[in-house]
Amino acid sequence: MLEIKNLRVKLADEDKLILDGVSLQVPKGQVHAIMGPNGSGKSTLAYVLSGRDGYQVSDGSILWNGEDLLAMEPDERAAKGVFLAFQYPMEIPGVATMTFLRTAVNAVRKKRGEAEFTTPEFLRRARAEAARLSIADEMLKRALNVGFSGGEKKRMEILQMAMLEPTLCVLDETDSGLDIDAVRVVSEGVNRLKSKDRAMLIITHYQRLLNYIIPDRVHVMAAGRIQKSGGKELALELEQTGYAEFNNRAA
Amino acid sequence: MTVAITRTKAEQGLTQNFEAVAAKLPGNPAVAEARRAAIGAFAALGLPHRRLEAWKYTDLRSHLKEALPAAVADAPSSLTRAELDAALEELADVAADRMVFVDGVYDRGLSQAGVIAGVRLAPLAASLASPASEAELNGTIPGQEAVLALNTAFMTDGAVIDIAAGSTLASPLLLVFIRTGSGGKRLITTRNLVTIGEKARATVIEAHLNLPGAAAGHSNSLSQLTLGEGAQLAHLKCTIGGDGESHVASLLPVLAAGASYRAFQLTAATGLVRNNVGLTFAGEGGKADVSGCFLGRGSEHIDTTLVIDHAVAGCESRELFKGVLADRARGVFQGKVIVRPDAQHTDGKQMAQVLMLSETAEFDSKPELEINADDVVCGHGSTSAEIDPDLIFYCRSRGIAAAEARSLLIESFIGEAIDKVTDQALNPALMAMARRRLVGLGT
Repeated sequence: MLEIKNLRVKLADEDKLILDGVSLQVPKGQVHAIMGPNGSGKSTLAYVLSGRDGYQVSDGSILWNGEDLLAMEPDERAAKGVFLAFQYPMEIPGVATMTFLRTAVNAVRKKRGEAEFTTPEFLRRARAEAARLSIADEMLKRALNVGFSGGEKKRMEILQMAMLEPTLCVLDETDSGLDIDAVRVVSEGVNRLKSKDRAMLIITHYQRLLNYIIPDRVHVMAAGRIQKSGGKELALELEQTGYAEFNNRAA
Repeated sequence: MTVAITRTKAEQGLTQNFEAVAAKLPGNPAVAEARRAAIGAFAALGLPHRRLEAWKYTDLRSHLKEALPAAVADAPSSLTRAELDAALEELADVAADRMVFVDGVYDRGLSQAGVIAGVRLAPLAASLASPASEAELNGTIPGQEAVLALNTAFMTDGAVIDIAAGSTLASPLLLVFIRTGSGGKRLITTRNLVTIGEKARATVIEAHLNLPGAAAGHSNSLSQLTLGEGAQLAHLKCTIGGDGESHVASLLPVLAAGASYRAFQLTAATGLVRNNVGLTFAGEGGKADVSGCFLGRGSEHIDTTLVIDHAVAGCESRELFKGVLADRARGVFQGKVIVRPDAQHTDGKQMAQVLMLSETAEFDSKPELEINADDVVCGHGSTSAEIDPDLIFYCRSRGIAAAEARSLLIESFIGEAIDKVTDQALNPALMAMARRRLVGLGT
């Protein structure tokens, strides 16, 4: 279970609070969506969950399975099962995708006390998973994300997610910039990973992605707070009314 | 007219040291005469200093505080094969014919070169003693370059390699220049004369090394490389000298029409290095790639200076240098591409990139294009940056620990340069040697 309590966060070098008392619970086995207008603090929440530098938590807590996430380094969090699918995945010139995947998977497995995969075993798994995401073998030999299209980068994020076997998946605007076919491939990849041991937090501006990844709960975030929570129908409602109501509330 | 020139202690010392060893240096009377002319030229020039544009960032006059006694063939070396192989690291495992020069003198026992069809290998000292040496010295009598003058004056040995037209070498030639520290701090001066005949192909590796714990000194090396029409030469230079070593190298390839020259320099863990490449396209359709990787730490100083002379039309040049600088290390990159008025359809691209691992490291980059023809494609670029913290975060968010993420990113950075070496055995050897020097760099 992910438990966020009264989380207040600002940028390290600014005074303004970006998250102003976020409280949220995502039980294992559930998919929750966070929707909200631009600048509402959604991506900040994703980064704070994964441990990016540059943010200062002034109040509140984040517990994952009862453990204090905020006390952990980003790589420790990954070992504990936290995974962030980036809105803008990074390009790493000179590191072949397969090399990166293997380094990451073995690092995480080692920290989890699991045996590292042998090379053939790893290659077999990576290729099988890549094939499910329509990622050609040839792409796995190329430098990670360098020269990849927006859709290819997002599929690569899902491939990493599948290989790292996280238990808390945070997807930040995974559908942004994708055409409808890419949204389907990516969504299918995410849906395959749904399980009773896994919690998922889908951050999105638009309702579209939620046609493919059906959430158990939908939360509306604005002005650094969860303003409203409801079932999956809330997403459809928002599609009709927009975020104006919440923008007004924020102002 | 007389001008009083004040010479530094080192400059005076070099001239005096020449007199001390002149009689012991190899060569026939014509060579002796050339040496004397060269030391005279040096006496007039002095050591290069920062007011000379080409030496702006590497002031040898202030750097070389003393003249070290010149190495000569005065005692047999006791270096063993095992010590040599240990010093060569991964290069020891590369299947290659070897010529080994210990403290500047050819060591027959450690060298292993079978009879290779179409190839003549000889130690320079023997060659200088033969009457034919005047031809070999031709064109190497220096004019205005002090370091070349010193090389002519003091050279003790080196490799003379002559590959007949149409011959292809199955394995690389490994030239090892190793300092043992025997006899204390010394000036070691070597010269290689490499001639690749028409359509001949070869790989030549120069390894400039110090035996661990050897008293460092000064070294001056020159490689003259002549490529015939359609000849192909891969030329690696690996310089891993040691603390306090000052190494000045001149690499002078001349390419006939259609020749291809691929050079790579790996430079690390050496007090001061100046690699000076002066490449001339003498025939149309030549291709050159001069690339490298340099790793600096402590107060090391690594200078790469290139002059690529497109003297004729239709040639292609590529340069990619990548450096990693930690502590107070200083990197220098000067890359000059000259396109002569008739050198139409020249295609030249140059890039120098440095990762700075500390606030106190320094990188001086001076790319220069001198274009006198109008139908050419030329470009250059230079960057220096820290490791991108966003990339480190990205790796860490995937479970890779911070130190491992840094190593991964640094290795991938230099890997892009090392990948210019496509040989299946040499590429991993160079990567392993570089990786060993990255351990603990800037962390």
